[in-house]
Amino acid sequence: MRSRLLQKLSPLKLRGRPSGVGLFFLLSCCGAANSHAENLIFNRTVSVTNIFDAVITGQVKDEQGQPLPGVTVKLQNSQVATMTDVNGNFKISVPDGDNNRSLTFTYIGFVTQTLIVGQQAQINVILKADTTKALNEVVVVGYGTQRRATINSAIGTVGARDINEKPVLNAVQALQGESPNLIIQQSTLDPGATLLINIRGVSTTGNNDPLLVIDGIVSQSTADLSLLNPNDIASVTVLKDAGAAAIYGSRGANGVLLVTTKSGKLNQKPTVTYNGNYGWQKPNVLVKKVDAADNAYYKNESLVNAGLPPSFTPAQIQQLAAQGNGTWDVNHLLYDAPQLSQNVSVSGGGATNTYFVSAGYLNQLSNFLGNGGSGNKFGFQKYNLRLNQSTIIGRFKLNGILEYTKSRNKTNSVGNNNIFADANRVPYNYSWQDENGNYLTNPIASQYNELGVLEKGGFNQADNDRIFGNLNGTLNIAKSLTLTGVFGGTIQNNGNFFRRTQVNYLPAGVYGNDLTTFDNNSKSHSFNTQVYLNYTKSFQQHNVNATLGVSSEINSQRGFQLQKTLTDPVFGNATTGTLIDATNSYNSITIQANSLQSVFGRISYDYKSRYFLDFVFRDDASSKFAQGQRSGFFPSVNAGYLISDESFMDPLRNTLSRLKLRASYGVVGNNQTAGNYTYLTTYFNYPGAYGYNGVIQGGAGTNLSNPLLTWERAATLNAGFDFGLFQNKLTGSFDYFDKTTSNIQQTPLDVPSIFGAAPPTANVAKVQNRGWEAEVTYTLKSAKVTQSFSANIGNTQNKLLQLTGNTQQIIYNQDVYQLIRRVGEPLTQYYGYVTDGYFQNQADVNSLPKPAGAIVGPGDIKFKDLNGDGKIDDNDKKVIGNPFPHYTFGFTYRVAVAGFDLTLFIQGVGQRDAFLRGELVEPFHYNYGQTLYDHMTNYWTPNNPDARYPRLASNGSPSNTNNWRNGSDLYRYNAAYARLKNVNIGYTLPSALTRKAGMQRVRVSAIGQNLFTLSKLKFIDPETTEFGNSVSPNTGSNSARNYLLPIFIGAGLDITF
Amino acid sequence: MKHLIKYFAITSLIVVSSCRKLDIGPTDAYSTLNFWTADANVYNALNNNYSLMYNSGLYFGNEGLSDNAYSQNNNDLIQIASGNANSLTPKFAGDWAYYYSTIKSCNQFLTNVDQNTTLGATTLNRLKAEVRFIRAFEHFNLTKWYGDVPLVTNDITQEEAKTISKTPKAQVVDFVISELKAIISALPSKDQLPAGENGRITKGAALALQARVLLYQGNRMAEVVTACEDLMNNAGTNGTYSLVSNYSNLFSDPTVNRTNTETILSLQYVPATTRTWTDFWDFAPNSVGGRVNALAPTQELVDDYIMLNGRSITEAGSGYDENNPYVNRDPRLTATVVYDRYNWNNGGGVNGTSKIIYIKPGTDPTRPGPDEYSSGRQSSSPTGYYWRKYFDPSALANFTSGNNLHLFRYAEILLDYAEAKNSLGQMTATVWNQTIGALRARAGFTDQGALSYPGGDVTNIIRRERRAELALEGIRIDDIRRWRIAETVLNRYVHGAKFSGDPTTDNGYIRVQLRRFNPNRDYLWAIPSGDQSLNAQLTQNPGY
Repeated sequence: MRSRLLQKLSPLKLRGRPSGVGLFFLLSCCGAANSHAENLIFNRTVSVTNIFDAVITGQVKDEQGQPLPGVTVKLQNSQVATMTDVNGNFKISVPDGDNNRSLTFTYIGFVTQTLIVGQQAQINVILKADTTKALNEVVVVGYGTQRRATINSAIGTVGARDINEKPVLNAVQALQGESPNLIIQQSTLDPGATLLINIRGVSTTGNNDPLLVIDGIVSQSTADLSLLNPNDIASVTVLKDAGAAAIYGSRGANGVLLVTTKSGKLNQKPTVTYNGNYGWQKPNVLVKKVDAADNAYYKNESLVNAGLPPSFTPAQIQQLAAQGNGTWDVNHLLYDAPQLSQNVSVSGGGATNTYFVSAGYLNQLSNFLGNGGSGNKFGFQKYNLRLNQSTIIGRFKLNGILEYTKSRNKTNSVGNNNIFADANRVPYNYSWQDENGNYLTNPIASQYNELGVLEKGGFNQADNDRIFGNLNGTLNIAKSLTLTGVFGGTIQNNGNFFRRTQVNYLPAGVYGNDLTTFDNNSKSHSFNTQVYLNYTKSFQQHNVNATLGVSSEINSQRGFQLQKTLTDPVFGNATTGTLIDATNSYNSITIQANSLQSVFGRISYDYKSRYFLDFVFRDDASSKFAQGQRSGFFPSVNAGYLISDESFMDPLRNTLSRLKLRASYGVVGNNQTAGNYTYLTTYFNYPGAYGYNGVIQGGAGTNLSNPLLTWERAATLNAGFDFGLFQNKLTGSFDYFDKTTSNIQQTPLDVPSIFGAAPPTANVAKVQNRGWEAEVTYTLKSAKVTQSFSANIGNTQNKLLQLTGNTQQIIYNQDVYQLIRRVGEPLTQYYGYVTDGYFQNQADVNSLPKPAGAIVGPGDIKFKDLNGDGKIDDNDKKVIGNPFPHYTFGFTYRVAVAGFDLTLFIQGVGQRDAFLRGELVEPFHYNYGQTLYDHMTNYWTPNNPDARYPRLASNGSPSNTNNWRNGSDLYRYNAAYARLKNVNIGYTLPSALTRKAGMQRVRVSAIGQNLFTLSKLKFIDPETTEFGNSVSPNTGSNSARNYLLPIFIGAGLDITF
Repeated sequence: MKHLIKYFAITSLIVVSSCRKLDIGPTDAYSTLNFWTADANVYNALNNNYSLMYNSGLYFGNEGLSDNAYSQNNNDLIQIASGNANSLTPKFAGDWAYYYSTIKSCNQFLTNVDQNTTLGATTLNRLKAEVRFIRAFEHFNLTKWYGDVPLVTNDITQEEAKTISKTPKAQVVDFVISELKAIISALPSKDQLPAGENGRITKGAALALQARVLLYQGNRMAEVVTACEDLMNNAGTNGTYSLVSNYSNLFSDPTVNRTNTETILSLQYVPATTRTWTDFWDFAPNSVGGRVNALAPTQELVDDYIMLNGRSITEAGSGYDENNPYVNRDPRLTATVVYDRYNWNNGGGVNGTSKIIYIKPGTDPTRPGPDEYSSGRQSSSPTGYYWRKYFDPSALANFTSGNNLHLFRYAEILLDYAEAKNSLGQMTATVWNQTIGALRARAGFTDQGALSYPGGDVTNIIRRERRAELALEGIRIDDIRRWRIAETVLNRYVHGAKFSGDPTTDNGYIRVQLRRFNPNRDYLWAIPSGDQSLNAQLTQNPGY
């Protein structure tokens, strides 16, 4: 029956199909033949009943009463459909005579409504915004906005709620785990430290910083994001692929972070909100020294195993045991430091103006004791003030943003690394102070006492002031045409004040007797002017949005420093004998400046809000390159197909509410690696090169240049889909990308050092980076309980395609192990020997291969003879680890029940190798360390043949050399982790109660951060890395001396008036 | 619509024209066009080359490679001294790159300096001669360590660096000698040098480097004699040199160190500026301000200092008492090495106090004794000895010293001369008195047993004298290698003082490090594997 109908009606079907979409017709024909059959049956009705038409008219509005243009109005069970016009009006001819006829109103981002029309000739409809809101969300996409539903490229968004409910002190931390493949890492957890950001991993051997744009103005550094008040942020958009980032052209290759701050709303009563939280950061020391007596015992064992006489007699060990432990450890340098954050904001608006005013304060004290001898305790403070204001004057809308940020970070004068090293390397029988409070040194830490340094040894205080302004106006030239002008910029002033003061120790040793004082200041400003036209038009079912603009940016920075030594011990000012350090003092003669002139544009087109096509481009000219190399053109093409909107998908509608396929391809650039004047050979004079007859002489040096230097280019393909299931209760998206960055700016690696100088940066390398990301959100609502689960995960895998010319690999010695960059493999990897357990007996020792000259015994490490030639040498080394995080994920669970709400946030890394060395890994490390830790006692003995570590053997012995100086996977640790980053439990007081007190809403909350971590790496925090976001192989190795991860426990209060 | 486009175009024009141009240059640097024309810049470029000539790390590091000293924390020195170096050893690559970067800087100078039209030919010739000296010195150092090396006499390109081949050592040496001969007429003598130029390269320096280069070849002793005699006997032309009266002051007294009759060329430093060195911070005993111990004198060095009567400690009738080993010894021992119960005089400086240094375990009245020998701790010496030579009482905190480090001094010329004459079979009482005798008299010997010519084969006496006189000046390792005695002296344990507490091993002397030396390999350093892999012409030295 059905097949006969098919044959009969197929000409009709073809005639009925809209013209101009042949391509999509073809697409829709493939793979959906069954649903076609269903459609054809319905078609029959249309053709038969055409002559009986009746006309229904009406208007569609949203809940705010705004007319909705472009809403699809369709007669149910038919192909009869139309769309609302600009004023939301529609007119549809329907077959007359069916009392049960219904109209379906569909609009992206709104809940689809079906109404029984009966015989009404007119019907007005109010569409409700989709509860999942995501589709209707207006997303800032660079020089404009787009509705979520119309986006074809890989864009992630993070909303205000995701940021605000964490008691974190900067916005970058708040972004961690919120968007897949937005990878945030830390190199130190020190208060005020900047964080490492990668969007979609590492794609270049050069600079991998994403571009940061705040309220439309390009920032000079991603560190600016840390200075923003997290509570001021309305949204963060993450442009991940070329399709989205091409509008930022020469700087889009590493992705773009677009931050938009909050503003008031028209006709809104003034709303005053306060939120604050207070709590304690508990330092979580994960290592524990063995007791002093045990340490002496182990020391003896390591000496005896090396054939040397023991250091401690049994009597001495007994004496150490009787004495007990001292205080010389990390714990005695730390305390539970308080942390306070407070914010007030007022927002509102009248008929023609809106405003948002806010002030924020935070104070995060360092866990280190002391204040360096004077002033405040160590720690980080930040003050934020913001005014966002807009006025509508007829067809003109004027918007002004003014922000002031001050931050102050006071740290110790010696560096955390030294503090932790000294605290770690001294056995437990020593103490920081004697009973009279004198600071002590000992035969191991003979130079400094770090408690003395913290309490008396001076400090480094960084003061940053930043003013951000943005004045922009939009003129509605015509109904569908606007002209926007933007002028904005940042003026920043960064200063450092450093003093080292003298601390004397007992019995010997002195710190800070050079009495250095320096003061420096750096002033920078960047200005950005933009003008762009925006044209929006719908012709029947064709929607067009076009943007064309120009932009000019200028940035410059200058700074000075005055450094003196042997200053007055009390005041730090000049006194008899004070010296001015000529090399480290400078005027602000040096100006670092660059400029960028650009033209950019975007044309977005969609048909029926079902078929989407965008073209985006930017042409940049940068002062960083020589004439002829300056300009770059960066285009991208994006396409999308809302396949679920096709009628052949109707049968699936109850399950698959929405499915959109997306693809983009484009080329974006990166000019961030090159310095400002790398293309120019210059000579510079400098002081203090040499001396004659005791008189200092200046010198001159050369900077070699490469006038051919130009952009890096990243060609990126992105393909993905968005989906919604079960009336969009479950929504999600998936993206795959393939990106190849060529012309990478890097120091050429094929120039031997006989050349005599570092060869200048050139466009030499090529890297491929592929990956995927997925996110899913599930919302469950009942009358009393609202729950949502959202999870995201992403992974990237890069591959070095070219290093420089024909160079196949380069190996970097990083202390005891090595890093390798090798063509055809991931960018930076650990390299060395593979361990194969231990020599268990003399027979093993006699028979198995060893490194040349190695003298080993039972309990020493066996290395795998990978090439089977009977000896262990460089040919047996292989890649033994990858330091970049893989499978990064985030998971958020929210639940609200009767006034109570709970948010749990888990973040983690699925796969990462961390190589650790130093006194927390190697017993009696180089004799620099004289300690052993609990976790290191799992070493080889005849009774512990499968130990984690080899037998003890003192530094310099053949065993020690074999075990610890041959870089191997001995140093490798599994740094994958999952961490309960944030727990927020709140209770909102009944409004009946709060109203009486004149308040709209009062919420109290308990906050916990970093409460629980699941990781195989137990003795240091698995989250910190020694690498920057470009995994540079020149980074120093990880000696596990990072600032500790604090556990925060506190309480919060939110009040809205 | 048309007027809108016009509106947009006009606004865009305003935006673009109001912005800064794209030609933005540095505000604090000269370009290739205008740098060399300014005289002051030429001198700055010259000074830059001087600063790249050598450095304190190389200077003292040499000592740790020899049997004079042991470094417990410098991995390069540990690796090389113990015979475990390979083509990846960082110092092999680092020193190589250091010398070639200086050579590049010199070649850039020589290529471009003629752009200057105001200094005049005579001055420019002198400046070029100084730079050619430095370039020759770098090539000499390269060939000394690596054997055949690329001879780089122009500012080579990246491409040339990838294809340049090695020049046989003999040709490199010939180049060095011919350069030194060619420049000598353009250089002033020490006597012609105004006080303000004290430290610049002179005729004397060119002759002294010639003497050293020729001496190191072993088969050009007659030419050594000629060069030395030119210096010793031709003061009118080449400058007047003599030994200063107090050995210790040459290194420690800031005035004598800087201005004296003995120095031929020093690495110049300037007190209380950034042109200073702080290596001594890790040489001095902990109790007088030392930080850690990075270079410790060995028992082998200490043992080579003779007795006041001229005999070696092992010789019959020397009077050496193993239980009181530091009395009646060559006064230069006390001027060089800090031993147990040494009477440290800080000279009134800010570093430390004047005190007795207790090194023997358990003897320091302060407990725990910071300078006492204790195995496996970094703050005290692993040998039981510290350095005194080059201690600068005027140094600022952390031993920040502005004292010069002598590269060539007249004493070395006398030793070169004695060795050359002796090896030519021309050693006489006259030559002895002129050289070894003079050095010992200056050192403070009065016993004729030490001062007068002993006759017979004095080869070992001259060698021991060289070691004692030049200790901590970086010469010992060169001597070991050119005398080809490394397979003996660098192929066994080096020792510290008799504090090990285990009389059954090496008679109670501390075993500090077992060293191995492969004579088929280790007389040449490895061509750094990095450069070798990038330039196929750089064949590797045997055994690596």
